[in-house]
Amino acid sequence: MTIVIFGGGGDLARRKLLPALYNLHVDGVLPPRIAIVGVGRKPMSDDDYRAFAKAGVEKFSRRPIEAHAWEAFAAALFFVAAEVDGEQALAPLGARLDIVEHERGLNGDRIYYLAIPPTLFAPTVQQLARSRFVPPPEGRIARVIVEKPIGRDLQSARVINDAIAEVFQEPQVYRIDHYLGKETVQNILVMRFANSIFEPLFNQKYVDHVQITVAEEEGVGTRAGYYEQAGALRDMVQNHILQLLAMVAMEPPHSLDADVIRDERLEVLKSLRPIEGEAVDANVVRAQYGPGFILGKAAPGYTEESGVAPASTTETYVALRVCIDNWRWAGVPFFLRTGKRLPKRASEISVHLKEVPPILFNADRSARLDPTILSIRIQPDEGFSLGINSKVPGPHVQIYPVKMDFHYGSTFGGSSPEAYERLLLDVIAGDATLFMRRDAVEAAWQWVMPILDRWAERGRDGLAAYPAGEWGPSEGEALIESTGRRWMAP
Amino acid sequence: MDGAVADRSWRASTPEAIDADLAALWRDVGRGETSVARAVMSNLIVFRSPTSAAGGDMAALVGGVPVEEVAARHPSRVIVLEHCHGEAPRAPSASAVGILTFGPPTARYGVELIVVRSACPEPSLLSILRRFVRGDIPTSIWWTEDMSDAAPSDALLTVGRQLVYDSRRWRDARRGAAAMAPLVRHHRVDLADLNWRRLAPLRRALTHARGQLKSDAWRGVDVRVSHAADEAALAWLFFGWLRSDGVGCADPAPMAEAAATAARDREGGALLAIEIGDMHATLSLRSADVVCPDAPPLGVAAAAESEADAVAAELRSLAPDRTLAAALEAIVERFER
Repeated sequence: MTIVIFGGGGDLARRKLLPALYNLHVDGVLPPRIAIVGVGRKPMSDDDYRAFAKAGVEKFSRRPIEAHAWEAFAAALFFVAAEVDGEQALAPLGARLDIVEHERGLNGDRIYYLAIPPTLFAPTVQQLARSRFVPPPEGRIARVIVEKPIGRDLQSARVINDAIAEVFQEPQVYRIDHYLGKETVQNILVMRFANSIFEPLFNQKYVDHVQITVAEEEGVGTRAGYYEQAGALRDMVQNHILQLLAMVAMEPPHSLDADVIRDERLEVLKSLRPIEGEAVDANVVRAQYGPGFILGKAAPGYTEESGVAPASTTETYVALRVCIDNWRWAGVPFFLRTGKRLPKRASEISVHLKEVPPILFNADRSARLDPTILSIRIQPDEGFSLGINSKVPGPHVQIYPVKMDFHYGSTFGGSSPEAYERLLLDVIAGDATLFMRRDAVEAAWQWVMPILDRWAERGRDGLAAYPAGEWGPSEGEALIESTGRRWMAP
Repeated sequence: MDGAVADRSWRASTPEAIDADLAALWRDVGRGETSVARAVMSNLIVFRSPTSAAGGDMAALVGGVPVEEVAARHPSRVIVLEHCHGEAPRAPSASAVGILTFGPPTARYGVELIVVRSACPEPSLLSILRRFVRGDIPTSIWWTEDMSDAAPSDALLTVGRQLVYDSRRWRDARRGAAAMAPLVRHHRVDLADLNWRRLAPLRRALTHARGQLKSDAWRGVDVRVSHAADEAALAWLFFGWLRSDGVGCADPAPMAEAAATAARDREGGALLAIEIGDMHATLSLRSADVVCPDAPPLGVAAAAESEADAVAAELRSLAPDRTLAAALEAIVERFER
């Protein structure tokens, strides 16, 4: 197996891909014969690339480098300088791959990882076809991994997907949403469908509402160029959060086959009630962070960040009230929110069950019982907990919400594999369960587009503000509090 | 859940790395031969003045406050905040994380402990606390300082549902009451005064006695309260309780030395001595006793309760103590007159 990383000298490769591959190597789960070939514009020797990779692994791997393991891993690393412009742009790459594969006894199975800006997706896959990398020789494997963002709207997503489809068939395409590779996200399916207690409760009879929060403590940092064009809705909601929603809300699949599960996730996306026109103003809040404090330190506002236009209307926070119009979830609102410069980095799903009738322990409306909440913590502090009202020992009836808390760290010890480890391994194994299919990507864009269109119409109008370090703007609180509910902070 | 600490794992940390370091500690704990479940019923923010302890020893970092004993009784994510007011916003200067393990080998549970030392203005303090509290459990603030000297800031109070304090620490009851005024008026948090718990036997005894004697008889009666040294706040709480119930009461006064000695000898150390008309009542560490003419003496035992017991009991109570709130309001009103 040969893994060719376009953008092999870039940030994603250094922070995520190379450390993930190293950890898979240490775990002994990579194919015994493998080559990892970085491709980039800037020339670099193989030794330089190994040094680049080592620095990335040292800094970002969940495990420290072990000399023996590193030696074997480094021997499988190579680098080729190549551009995607020009008639024979990838010819040098082809020649080098032939040599490397011959020397290492590889059979020509290849994975092409597009860790490059979306604007280069189409030219790169076209070059792969032009240089006859694809289709591969009879019996050999060629797969392509595409990083998000896949487009910045429905039209551009279709353009990218069409370009990829001209070269690769859909089963060869692995669109990564790294959230789906997280252990806790995978555990949603296990929790729901491997325990008899939860699945019977996951419907409109028992669930009052669901909250999904994906909070980032960081500001825009060095990504202003990208983020100014994206914003929170495109960067987080269109992909990660809608995928999380789909995992929580999907029907039980009849098998664990990748397409069966992906069909069920797609059904949820197709069942989302469109939010269009003025309904956007009532059901979606967008905001931008201003100056504030993060962990005791002063933090600048978004428009004071380097690379951000002073008059920018890019949203750094978005909160939505979403309805799923199907039998299971009719009448159950899903409240979604994400933002930058929130008080902490945390991703969490909470399923709030309906209250018990106000007859016995809930009779005093001024001292209501806590509702039963199932919290699924995706990061950090991975695990889930179930709040249960319980009697405090003693002569009086005093009730306290206790937690049944499953905590990965204390239960299993060891560090969980990074999402990219699992996802890369799945591509090697040809399992597409945790990857987004074209139809799902486009369904998500289709649902998001009316919101983007409405914002484009309104410009700055309706863009709220919140201080850095707060849980968003007051409008975000009002969105949920107007329904008699409250956000649960992670 | 009130056993001794079976094990302590801890490490020095940086504010940015607290989550990662706690996760690493849990991994270490999880690799042991005995499985350890995380126990967390609430966030407990322990506010204290900066100490000189640094780095080396977690016990030293939390010394002087029975954090471990409280955690054993009411497992919480304990966040010890050593804060002094600073001029400019800046990150916390030091921090440490730890896991306290309790229980027998067959049922071990672990409690998270975070120690943060900070010096920043109040508005930025909130950003430190929001970072470390868990949102899915109640949050209590345990103010271990003398509130008559330093009161909790608005910023601090916005993160908690409950403020636990001990008015026994007040060196000046008037200033203590002044510090309570905004909290009492705005009902921003549930108040839990550990000192108030010590009044419980006396309140029960007198309530019972009033039932026997027809409570209307108290109205218009001259009520006098005297207190042992260092028990002025307790006396004022009693004053507030009576006032909030419509019973007039003179301002509490210290016991005369001779009377105090006599009372100590007679009652095993009286904290309060009360005269209500011709009825006499005393509160000691052991009991509350009421002597009325034409009725047999009445006594209510005072349960021995450590500070940790008292704090844990308050943490378990999610309902506001309206009687305490009313008593505090009466005290505040008296001092503002």
